[in-house]
Amino acid sequence: MTPLMHGFVWGLVIATVLVTIAVLSIWFERKFSARMQSRLGPTLVGPAGILQLVADALKMMQKEDLIPEKADSILFRLAPPFTVLFTLSVAAVIPFSENVLAADLDIGVLFMLAVGGLVVFPVWIAGWSSNNKYALLGAMRAVAQGIAYEIPLVLSAMVPVVLAQSMRFSDIISVQAETHWFVIWPLGPGLIAFVIFFICSLAEANRIPFDIPEAESELVAGVTTEYAGMRFGLLQMAEYLHTLIASAVAAAIFFGGWDGPFAPGLHWMVLKTLALFFTIFWIRWSLVRFRSDQLMALCWKYLLPLSLLLVMVAALFVHYCGVGA
Amino acid sequence: MPGEVIQVKRHEKLGFLERLYVPMIVQGLAVTAGHFFRNLRGFITGKNRTDFVIQYPDERVDYPDAFRGMPVLVQLDNGQPRCVACGLCEFACPTDCISIVPGEIEGARIERYPEAFDIDMSRCMFCGLCEEACPEEAIVMSREFEISSYDRQTLNYDKERLLVPETLLKRRLEFLRGEYDRVHAGGETRS
Repeated sequence: MTPLMHGFVWGLVIATVLVTIAVLSIWFERKFSARMQSRLGPTLVGPAGILQLVADALKMMQKEDLIPEKADSILFRLAPPFTVLFTLSVAAVIPFSENVLAADLDIGVLFMLAVGGLVVFPVWIAGWSSNNKYALLGAMRAVAQGIAYEIPLVLSAMVPVVLAQSMRFSDIISVQAETHWFVIWPLGPGLIAFVIFFICSLAEANRIPFDIPEAESELVAGVTTEYAGMRFGLLQMAEYLHTLIASAVAAAIFFGGWDGPFAPGLHWMVLKTLALFFTIFWIRWSLVRFRSDQLMALCWKYLLPLSLLLVMVAALFVHYCGVGA
Repeated sequence: MPGEVIQVKRHEKLGFLERLYVPMIVQGLAVTAGHFFRNLRGFITGKNRTDFVIQYPDERVDYPDAFRGMPVLVQLDNGQPRCVACGLCEFACPTDCISIVPGEIEGARIERYPEAFDIDMSRCMFCGLCEEACPEEAIVMSREFEISSYDRQTLNYDKERLLVPETLLKRRLEFLRGEYDRVHAGGETRS
């Protein structure tokens, strides 16, 4: 099989599996949050309500395809698919095991950060083309937040890159497999970098406690205000996909990816990804939303200097102790 | 209790750990995780379930006697309302939703009865002032409250729709006697 065919086939498989997990996780999240809040969650459709997903999808597809009269209809239509596209593209460079990966780019981390950063464009386009003040305000907040948190995100992702001396995901994981997972060793920089990366991923994906762009108590539904039916569904799915892929990236560059005893690598990677993914749900149902200025203060005053410092510490560590060490 | 002032100690100043924010996040996560596992255990074993959800249209609770649903007229064994059409409830009603047309029964002693007794449920707010004003225990608040309708006209309840046999209202009537410290008045006004 040529590398191109290999990449195409695995890319298709990975994308399909990721989208399926993202959709299933909606049911999981509803059940999970219900247990936390002493509720029942969906119970009526299918065993334990699992077919609720099908019912919801059918409902969304049946809905009238509304486009506001004053909206820029071309941009309005383009935004949701592109949000999903840019989000899903990141998955191309994430290795799920030694063989299960679509493209083993030597600039994997850079690609992940660059394409992941593109998501603010369709979000802004969605908000702008809706021609609605709530959508526009939501989009403004999303972009401000996305750009601000991109910086500590990049810097904290640089820590594993510096430690492994490579931007290729498989190299980063190999170094971790040979020595220690970066979240454990070097003690300190790895763990703190992971926490910063995790916080920034939450902020990038607009998840609680950083869901200021769609703060329903003040902005109706933010960017998604004017969207209905399947377009809304796509925007929602992009959010879940973003969280899932961010978890996969964090599992790969901080938690040693496919490295683990007893079971084949794929199991470990999936396990680590899902563990992080569910942690995000856990956080979502435990914390409250930040205020806009608190969000910016957290980013510029604490995360940015801290992540800069971490990159320097990591560089010094590599200089004096060698790669991995 | 009157005359007793309770000093509430408010937690106003944040401690060092609280200002760090992170330990408090962990504490919050621990709370939700605790709830999650407690509920999960309850759902799996079926014992000590801490969820208290009532699947409303399928399951209902037995509403307490103090519950105020829509007002109804007490129907005596002979099928007649206990009401004597005195008009006190009409007067007490803050929303003017009760309208009574009194009638008289000629006999050894002249008795009053309501010829018509209408309550407009679209205006009634279930306050219970009519029940409190009634000297005859003739109008009481029932447990019925699911009376929504697509047609506003159907919300205008006449005497026939308001009558409910006394036996069905026993619990509420007994509750009222305790509540308003009343002596049982019903039954003596009619021969």
